[in-house]
Amino acid sequence: MTAYLARRALQAIVVVVLVTLIVFLLVRLAPGGARAAVLGSGQSGSPFLLQYLSWLGRVAHGDLGFSLIRNQSVGSLLAASLPRTLALTVTSTVIALAVAIPAGILQAARRGSAADHVLRGLTLVFYGLPSFVLGSVLILFFAVDRHYFGAEGPQAAGFTGVIADWHDLTLPVLTLSLMTIAIFARYMRSAAVDSLAQDYVEAARARGAGDRRVLIRHVLRNSLIPVVTLVGLSVPQIVGGALIVESLFNIQGVGWEIWQAALGHDVAVTLGFSLVIGVAAVVGSLMADIGYALLDPRVRHSLT
Amino acid sequence: MGLAALLAACGPASGSSAVGTTPVNGGTATYAMEPSFNATYIFPFDNANDFTVSNIDDFQYLLYRPLYWFGTGAEPYLNTGLSLAKLPQYSGQKVTINLKGSYRWSNGEQVSAQDVVFWLNMMKAEAAQNWGGFVPGGIPTDITNVQATGPDTVTMDIKGKYSEDWFTNNELSQITPMPLAWDRTASGKSDCHQVVADCRAVYNYLNQQAQNVAGYGSSAIWGVVDGPWRVKSLNSQGYLSLVINNRYSGSLPPNHISQFVEVPFTSEQAEYNVLQDPANAQKIDVGYLPTVDAPVPPAGANVGANPPSLTGYQLSVLYAWQLSYFPYNFTNNTGQGAIMRQLYFRQAFQSLVDQEGVIEGPLHGYGKPTIGPVGDYPVTSYLSPTLRRLGDQWPLDPSSAQALLRDNGWSPSASGVDVCTRAGTVRGDCGAGIKAGTPLKFTLLYATGIDWMESAVKELASNASLVGIDITAQGEPIGNVISAVFYCAPNCGNWQMAYWGSWTFSPDYLPTGDTLFQSGSVNNGGNYDVPKNNRLIEATLTARTPSEFSSAMYTWEDWLANQLPVVYEPDAPTLLETISNLHIGVQNSALSITPEDWYYLK
Repeated sequence: MTAYLARRALQAIVVVVLVTLIVFLLVRLAPGGARAAVLGSGQSGSPFLLQYLSWLGRVAHGDLGFSLIRNQSVGSLLAASLPRTLALTVTSTVIALAVAIPAGILQAARRGSAADHVLRGLTLVFYGLPSFVLGSVLILFFAVDRHYFGAEGPQAAGFTGVIADWHDLTLPVLTLSLMTIAIFARYMRSAAVDSLAQDYVEAARARGAGDRRVLIRHVLRNSLIPVVTLVGLSVPQIVGGALIVESLFNIQGVGWEIWQAALGHDVAVTLGFSLVIGVAAVVGSLMADIGYALLDPRVRHSLT
Repeated sequence: MGLAALLAACGPASGSSAVGTTPVNGGTATYAMEPSFNATYIFPFDNANDFTVSNIDDFQYLLYRPLYWFGTGAEPYLNTGLSLAKLPQYSGQKVTINLKGSYRWSNGEQVSAQDVVFWLNMMKAEAAQNWGGFVPGGIPTDITNVQATGPDTVTMDIKGKYSEDWFTNNELSQITPMPLAWDRTASGKSDCHQVVADCRAVYNYLNQQAQNVAGYGSSAIWGVVDGPWRVKSLNSQGYLSLVINNRYSGSLPPNHISQFVEVPFTSEQAEYNVLQDPANAQKIDVGYLPTVDAPVPPAGANVGANPPSLTGYQLSVLYAWQLSYFPYNFTNNTGQGAIMRQLYFRQAFQSLVDQEGVIEGPLHGYGKPTIGPVGDYPVTSYLSPTLRRLGDQWPLDPSSAQALLRDNGWSPSASGVDVCTRAGTVRGDCGAGIKAGTPLKFTLLYATGIDWMESAVKELASNASLVGIDITAQGEPIGNVISAVFYCAPNCGNWQMAYWGSWTFSPDYLPTGDTLFQSGSVNNGGNYDVPKNNRLIEATLTARTPSEFSSAMYTWEDWLANQLPVVYEPDAPTLLETISNLHIGVQNSALSITPEDWYYLK
């Protein structure tokens, strides 16, 4: 297991270095002012490797450059937007997992029942509904008409400030959660249905294990593997934000910031944020690999 | 300069609930900013990135007053009451600026002639690189011998002969006096207000200080203001809080708000959601209604009803002092340039733009047709009486467009796209540079993100197809469209037509045409280059008396309106929503705001 993790971590480091190299090359292609804002002045005459190492050193210290458009450092923009995005996406992902896993297991266990049909129908609806439609409907009903929750996301600074404002956080989280639940639950149901048909489940039943024990001890663990993959692949989205939900709920998160930067040709922000999201993608993939190994001994043994 | 924002003239719309009539002193007004625009830069010497309404009109002018203030009522005229100086005096080539002498900075120093020279010296040192309003040949290169001849008096000599109106409205309009407390570097006091060579270091220091956005509220530099407001805080999101400058030396009404908060928004829809939710933690006092959500006003009315969800607000319309159009690329070298240089083609093409249809449709009844090279709403003295009387001379008329094309050598082909069948340059031929068999095919780059503009483009393409013109509408982010036109070297011959929106006449408030239509002008994106036009513009710039100026302006615009140097598009207003118990008066089309005059009613 240790060797497996070490190998995976080493691969991740190599990929991160490649990501930084690609971003650095893109920086060098940027126009003069934008390049200087990221690389620092006086760097243009240095050798490539020296420039790269110097830039990497600054990145390691949190210096991602300066946005000439926003008149702020990229680091300060990231520090302001990332907590908002994480509060939104992490909360919605946790809620989605908490709902989707039992729902998927329940659907598989009661396959073909009324509950299964209802949940399948609901997940299909939320899966197919555009987020701006779902969010707008929720705002009109719960905020504009009923005043139960705020019509915009939290405007407080910092992760805890955003989380504490549950009144304003509820609707954007609900919008994202409903859509994520739909995805996770469908995967979970499918995996659980497969697991229920496996020999080891039959064997467990033959040994007298009850339904609850079979589902929790044998079906759940094996069915989680595709969901772990999904969560791992979701990490870049968790860090990269949810552009449409952020835009609809007036949340200046990472997704909205990078979109604005792309529209405004703000090279420093685009590349700085891309680097962070790229690294998050690598970390997410690594976490998924670790998750497989923890859930499935065959993975550990086959790769060690 | 401008056309007006008509608020009062339009009258209040529906939706007002019963409010009192007694003005009260104090309170906070929250102002919704346009999506993606908010205050980012405090130093009133903005480079091209920072040269925005949200930085200048909505922020810097509230702290640091411009030498001359534009915006009188709804019109964009010079407002002597709010200006720091009296009207400039002209004597031959010499200009004399007399400051009023009654304005003071918050550190107790007088707003003096030295402060004006400080700004002009900074211009001499930095304009080409770091002044967003810089035009080659314009200020400061068209002045010399700038001197503070007394505590309140600045004199300078103009190089060349310019109309007094033009010089006041388009050149002196750019000046914002700077306090001598800013004439320093990190190592101490400097001398930029006397020695131009010292200005580079001062600029670098001030620019560096301006990059500490979070520190604006506590900065000793930026805390020296001569306007009615000072910064309390500005955060990285763009939330700006201003409080009244208790040392303001100008006059304030007896009752006024004491705090002004600008709130950023990620989208129009997000702002509208908050506007509709009176229980929201962040209540908007002055916001805007997305056109797509606006009920159509009754026939003949400038403003209609509010949506039912906005019961606590009053709706009004604000027309900016601007020109809505998109240019042809007259230097296009992919074959279409020769077609677009033909007046008959431009006449036919303009007849396919359904300005009234766009106003009635996607704009929900809010908008005015553009009728020439000078903004036409609100009506100013700059608009020729002839154009005003004639109105839109090219309403939608596909039959007329088709006849023009048939009369000039274009015939239908099997593909449905007209081709030139009579190449040549005599009457009835297609025109110079157009080969036989050339199809009427064009690519129109347009900025995405504004619903009504996208609808207008698609409708134009549809209308054009009726007469055999094939338009490929290519949507791009606005930055890409502007880059394709203004930062296109060495491929400037590639683009054909490009639509990004409109030109706001600020700080060039006088719409003389030298900015947009004169040969070689930076903002003449389509490179319109006609000697007669240049001569007529020159006459407006050099007219010495008001009557000469008006005559030259009317002659020029009457002629150019019919030359169709650009495609005229409808002028769309901002639909302002003001909470019913807040009085904000008439907003002006120059887009400068005076929240120090706003007050609540109880």
